[in-house]
Amino acid sequence: MTSFARTAALEPRPLEHRAFLFDGMVDFLETAVPFVREGLEDDERSVVVVVKEARLAALRDHFPGCLDDMFVDAESFYEHPVRTLRSYLELVKAKAPRHVHALAEPVWRDGWSDRETLEWARYESLINEVFQGTGASALCPYDTSTLPPRILEHARRTHPRLVQGGGESDSRRFAPPKEFSAGVDRVREFPMPQESEYLPLTSHDLHELRQWVGDRADRHGLSGQNAQNLVTAVNEVAANALRHGVPPVGVRLWTQDVDLFCEVGDNGYWSTFSPLAGFVPPKTALESGFGLWTVRLLVDLVEVRAGWDGTFVRMRVSR
Amino acid sequence: METLSSVRRPVRELRPGDHAWLAYSGEDEQRHVVGSFVRDGLEAAHKVIYLAGSADVDIPGMNGVPSSPGLLTVIPLAGARRPDGGFDPGRVLEALAGEIAGAEDGDYTTIRVTADMTWALDLPNGLTELLRCERHIERAVCPSTRVTAICQIDRRRLSADARHALAASHSTFVTPNPEFSDSVLQIVRTFDPVGLSLLGELDASRHGVLDEALNAVLAASSGEEIHLDLAGLGFIDLGALNMLADVAARRSGAGPLVLDSMPVQLRTIMETVGWHMLPGLRLGTV
Repeated sequence: MTSFARTAALEPRPLEHRAFLFDGMVDFLETAVPFVREGLEDDERSVVVVVKEARLAALRDHFPGCLDDMFVDAESFYEHPVRTLRSYLELVKAKAPRHVHALAEPVWRDGWSDRETLEWARYESLINEVFQGTGASALCPYDTSTLPPRILEHARRTHPRLVQGGGESDSRRFAPPKEFSAGVDRVREFPMPQESEYLPLTSHDLHELRQWVGDRADRHGLSGQNAQNLVTAVNEVAANALRHGVPPVGVRLWTQDVDLFCEVGDNGYWSTFSPLAGFVPPKTALESGFGLWTVRLLVDLVEVRAGWDGTFVRMRVSR
Repeated sequence: METLSSVRRPVRELRPGDHAWLAYSGEDEQRHVVGSFVRDGLEAAHKVIYLAGSADVDIPGMNGVPSSPGLLTVIPLAGARRPDGGFDPGRVLEALAGEIAGAEDGDYTTIRVTADMTWALDLPNGLTELLRCERHIERAVCPSTRVTAICQIDRRRLSADARHALAASHSTFVTPNPEFSDSVLQIVRTFDPVGLSLLGELDASRHGVLDEALNAVLAASSGEEIHLDLAGLGFIDLGALNMLADVAARRSGAGPLVLDSMPVQLRTIMETVGWHMLPGLRLGTV
């Protein structure tokens, strides 16, 4: 072995995150099968295949000797972007020191609002940040025959490399995660409800707040667990606003159809706010960022607005 | 072990007429509960009568300091030994009745009686005599408007049946005074396993008191697992999880912090967070 090769072996593998734009099953298998095989033949890699049902079945047929737990139905894996990030991270940890080699097809559902689609695009972009240094390799299939152009555009913006038609190239449209996330944040809208309830917060004792939120969550018909999750999330954000924000601090709550919204606001300017705040998981609860990361896990959607008029954290839960 | 008609009461809330039971798990628990009982009594100038194996017993709560004369009387149970080696509860009760009567004459408004009965277990037929003794004490104390009593025994020396029988002869179970208590949160020391029991809700405004109580437990422990009984906890904030992980990290090398009887909704939140986020914390009995 040459000294050059030794150096190369010691260097951590860079994260590989590629979008695979395919057209039909034949095109899919022509790239997916060699990708999976490449991972299986490398002792330092651990393969996981998370794709939609039809493609899952086809791939299983190509690798009859592989264990069932290597294949995961994408429908059940992609339900909540932040929780999916957490699940992939757990996978990376569980497989260490081997590197995860994933064929990972995000699910784009028809009934989604633009907002939901954007949050999943943000998730794809976050992969570049969150899995830095893990040596993971992800190939993300996008079906060009069925997906709308705007989703294919997201694929180009969130993956540094593209695989298409048997070739691979840099994605010229790629945007670094921070920039992409800022773009997602820019097109958000914050409609204020016609009617809402408001609870001012003046004391660090948040017992009354928890009861207030819990009662309304019950009345809205949230399950006991979702209500507890919401109460925990609102308590965390409120405690944070009381500690770091500027009075007045308060909570506004309203419902709209199946959704319940809870927004904690204070008058302070969060000068160090980053569009990635709370999206990059800490290693442990001891690191800063644990609170907002966990809040994002506990409710359906968290939207942070840090402006000159104050800092507002809006949380949404559906029944 | 506890009957439906029994009540649990922290030692400071015992009242005249209570004939309370303490099956302590070790010296630590005995010192904690009986120590409060004796110390508070002496500070309030109550009469304190202590029944123990011998007269030179190290009385919990005294810290070796002699009390003002007359306040504390020790009745040695060894004096109730029959010539055949057996145990004569009649003599103990006689001595006790005499002390109580004397105290009542002596203008004491409150009389605290506590008896460590562990000694009697070594005697032939000890348990039977003990139970007889308990029935007499029950009859003497319960109607009283001045006497509060705690019967103590080392639980490690008792079979399950014996424990049940002795417990059933008491209407009240004495528990340690809470380390902290307000309308939202109560923190109580536990001794078997070593740790704390949390009741109510825990949020940022009460991290300080939990930290204090935890430090007291850690200082008294010798690196074993520390258990938190969370059966009565309705809410725990994320900051508290962070704090517990921090405590666990600071005692690296020692046993973990074990979370017992965690209500399912709180457990689900821990699972959502992921246990890998919480090094040093472990889920105990469910």
